Amino acid sequence: MKRKLLILCTYAVCVFFALGFVSLSFGSQKEEGKKAVTLNVLSSPDNADALAEISKRFIRINPDIKVEVSPVSWEVLYPQILADINAKTGAFDVCTWDLMTAGSIAKGMLDLEKFAQENPDFVDPDFNHDDFIPTAAYVYGKWEGKNIGYPFYGATMFLFYRKDYFEEPMYQAAFERMYGRKLSPPKTWEEALEVTKFFTKSENSMSPTEYGITLMFPRSHTLFYMYINWFAQMRRSSRGIAKYGDVSLDWGDLFTADKKPAFNSPEGVKAMEMMMEIMQYSPDPLGSDYGETYEAFGHGIAAMCPSWTAVLSGWKDLPELSPINDKVGVAVIPGGHPVSGGWGLGINDASKHKEAAFRFVQYATNTESDKLQWMQFRIGPTRFSVLKDPEVLADSPWMEGVYAYSLENASHRPRIPAEPKLEDIMVGTLSEILLGNKPNIADALDKLAMEWNKILGR
Amino acid sequence: MVLAVFILIFFLFPIYWLGITAFKHSEDWFKWPPVLIPKSLTFNNFLGTEGGFFGGIASIATVVPYLRNSLIVAIATAFISTLISSMAAYSISRFKTGGIVFANWIISLRMLPPVAVILPLYIFFKQFGMLNTRLAIILCHLVFTTPLSTWILITFFKEIPKEMDEASYVDGASPLQCFFRIVLPLSAPGLAAVTTLAFIQSWGEFLIALLLTSNSDAQTLPVYLGRYITGFRIAWGPLAAAGLIVMIPVIVFSLLMQRYLIKGLTFGAVKG
Amino acid sequence: MHKQKKLIALLLILPIVLLFAGLTIFPFLYMIYMSMHDYDLSESTEWNFIGLRNYTDIFKDELAISSVHFTALLIFIALPIEMVLGMFIAWLFRDMAGEKIIRSTALLPMMVPPVVAGIAWKMLFNYNFGPLNYFLSFLGIEKISWLGNEFFARTGLIVIDVWQWTPFVFLVIYSGLMSIPKELSDAAKVDGANPFKALLRVEMPILMPLISTVLIIRMIDILKLFDIVFMVTWGGPGHATHSFSYYIYKVGLSYGWNVGYASALSILLLIVVIILVNILMRILRIRELLEL
Repeated sequence: MKRKLLILCTYAVCVFFALGFVSLSFGSQKEEGKKAVTLNVLSSPDNADALAEISKRFIRINPDIKVEVSPVSWEVLYPQILADINAKTGAFDVCTWDLMTAGSIAKGMLDLEKFAQENPDFVDPDFNHDDFIPTAAYVYGKWEGKNIGYPFYGATMFLFYRKDYFEEPMYQAAFERMYGRKLSPPKTWEEALEVTKFFTKSENSMSPTEYGITLMFPRSHTLFYMYINWFAQMRRSSRGIAKYGDVSLDWGDLFTADKKPAFNSPEGVKAMEMMMEIMQYSPDPLGSDYGETYEAFGHGIAAMCPSWTAVLSGWKDLPELSPINDKVGVAVIPGGHPVSGGWGLGINDASKHKEAAFRFVQYATNTESDKLQWMQFRIGPTRFSVLKDPEVLADSPWMEGVYAYSLENASHRPRIPAEPKLEDIMVGTLSEILLGNKPNIADALDKLAMEWNKILGR
Repeated sequence: MVLAVFILIFFLFPIYWLGITAFKHSEDWFKWPPVLIPKSLTFNNFLGTEGGFFGGIASIATVVPYLRNSLIVAIATAFISTLISSMAAYSISRFKTGGIVFANWIISLRMLPPVAVILPLYIFFKQFGMLNTRLAIILCHLVFTTPLSTWILITFFKEIPKEMDEASYVDGASPLQCFFRIVLPLSAPGLAAVTTLAFIQSWGEFLIALLLTSNSDAQTLPVYLGRYITGFRIAWGPLAAAGLIVMIPVIVFSLLMQRYLIKGLTFGAVKG
Repeated sequence: MHKQKKLIALLLILPIVLLFAGLTIFPFLYMIYMSMHDYDLSESTEWNFIGLRNYTDIFKDELAISSVHFTALLIFIALPIEMVLGMFIAWLFRDMAGEKIIRSTALLPMMVPPVVAGIAWKMLFNYNFGPLNYFLSFLGIEKISWLGNEFFARTGLIVIDVWQWTPFVFLVIYSGLMSIPKELSDAAKVDGANPFKALLRVEMPILMPLISTVLIIRMIDILKLFDIVFMVTWGGPGHATHSFSYYIYKVGLSYGWNVGYASALSILLLIVVIILVNILMRILRIRELLEL
């Protein structure tokens, strides 16, 4: 009797499983059949919230189109885009692409200009192309003549600092005594070192913060772009321009005007040395990425934090930084040439819903969306009209001065197809140098330049 | 005894930390000294409205399609894997099909690092237009869970005396009937153990799901967590909340089945 | 009747054979093919046949070597710790009060999906605010940069691996201990030996095959370690925590897309694994275990 019961139980469990499996899979198949046109938008995490909000509004205006935003982490987004472009499966319709991947994904993206010309009915008459900041329109839109995207997130790095401490008379007096000049957001990295030391408890016992600055030098692409903040100070000085020529928007600050690596040079070495010196006064630089520096500054551990604008949206809720307009100031990155970031919004050439995708991309990058993404999500605008908008200026007065200046004078990463590879090996080398494993920095940078040339096929 | 307590704390603490972070306000996520016992809790992380986020993407409601996918994939993998491996285990242990070579091959398949075979598999599925489908993931997961299941079941079937088989043959049963009527029911603990292990493995599998899928049609929970990871995202609270959701089903299921796990995992290696 | 038996026996293994043949033999052969070419997906140009050059390149690649080094570190440090700790816990918890609850708790870490474990530990390892550094401060130890220092990053990953898989060792050994007939262990105790000696003399030998089995399984799994590295350290700092599988991922599937070289690395890994496991299996006489 017991055995029969056991057998019955086993069969029952099997049947249950089978039923569950079958019903679940059938259930969802029915769902899928009913869907209208659904656009799959592949987005990086920092763009995802804004895109979700924009999609909601878009769907209200265009009820026949559904938009699904799929956020993927930065490290996964690029390989996924690349995989799909090569497989031509059209698994996503729209994607946010990081500006330095422009060259490598260009071949798989739809030429928006051509599409607009061939399909005039879908073009929004109010969509103003001239309103885009020219640099933005180029780096987030064009590659070798093809219009592969519309600018979505215009960004450069900024130096966020504790305005309340910088304006405190007691600290100002002390700083002037120690360094003979006024306490203000540093304009060069040399000045930054002094200010950093001033706000580091171990150097200056009266410092209100434990560390002067919080830096992110982790083993990820963050290190690659952080390096450029230092290197650009010298690359774009008058001596730098004289020695290496102008900076091309496609090849970026790490190359000379004739497309050779520029960092295996005294200037490149100096940038590393400056980084190594200042990082001693920052908490765990090699183990910190964006999130860690956000928390460090947000909880009052550091007095300065170079970062992207999106941090502002989270900081305003932290008690340490309330009210945010009194406690947090925004300045141009020391050196005067902040590295640029940002994203373009493009359409997959293999997409099966190009018309719907085009309407979405237009909507997401028009003036209204550009303003919305700044006001609500602190995603940098790419249009002049938004920078001059009175509501925006009332909310963030520093937009006019600091933001515009930074965008115009930004330094750039390469946008060429080989960039992701170049970047990865550079991050490896830079990380090793910062760890102290490569005492001969010039040598290490030379070897790196050789690897770069190999990848570039020279 | 004290030692035992320390060990348990060691095992429990990370899970506890993840759990309470899911309910902490954003200023408590990272504080010094760390907030071991929060003074106030919130559900906002599940709504995605803590830490400067606005619901929408960070809201836990977005987890539903991924939860559905994970459930389907894990249950299907567990069930089919048990079925196939029990059939093969029966054949090998009773009839020595394929001899040591075949058995070796199956067991060695467990050594396959997923990262090594993912590329050809990607191309394979692309050819058949099966990218971004749950079926593709199920098939891949089967490859990685079946070997261990087979191995365990072989040793389990060994415990069942051959005399019982003989008796059923005398009664006129075919090998198949013998399998379903005698061997399977007697090895129920082993089957349960194997099903549970396969479920755990499939539920937590990350790489294959990541590379073979591109949107919520087929993506599973581990990939869903990926949206919160590294660098740019600072949403530790919602991340912990999502992690909790990913963790709870498999823990509940495993705890329920732990009795069978214990009975079933002896690999038949213990002789009286 | 005999023929019919054979037929059914073969039919029974058909599904498993089909599954594996389709999904493993084909990839394996394709990988060997790719490994002999110089092919980069992101450039999607022609395939250049380069014979065994990918393989020789491996030996010159210091990154590959360092990832072998780290993986070996895991095997020779994490694995013994897991085994000893797991066995110790199994013995410790055996006849304890509240056994069931304690047992359930001890099993938890292995049920947690690796990606979730990675998230939890990443928070614990935080330099500025992490609980780990907090507890260490009670011992008078200064804050440790777990993720920014090569030594500690490696230690951290070893800790996570031990945390996650000791329960598995515990589970298997515990099951083994449970299934030893009580008379045997009681008899050993009666002989005047203290419990520890009883364990050593009587129960361990019986459990030997089980222990060996778990050893093999864990070793194979460590060679495949990927999820935790991906979630917690992203291979850094520098290249300190590149496990071999992770390195293959970087070369072939992340920025590299150098599919040919990645395939060569994979084949090498497979060969090493097969050799290792075969040696081990021979030593542990698995054949007898399965009565084949």
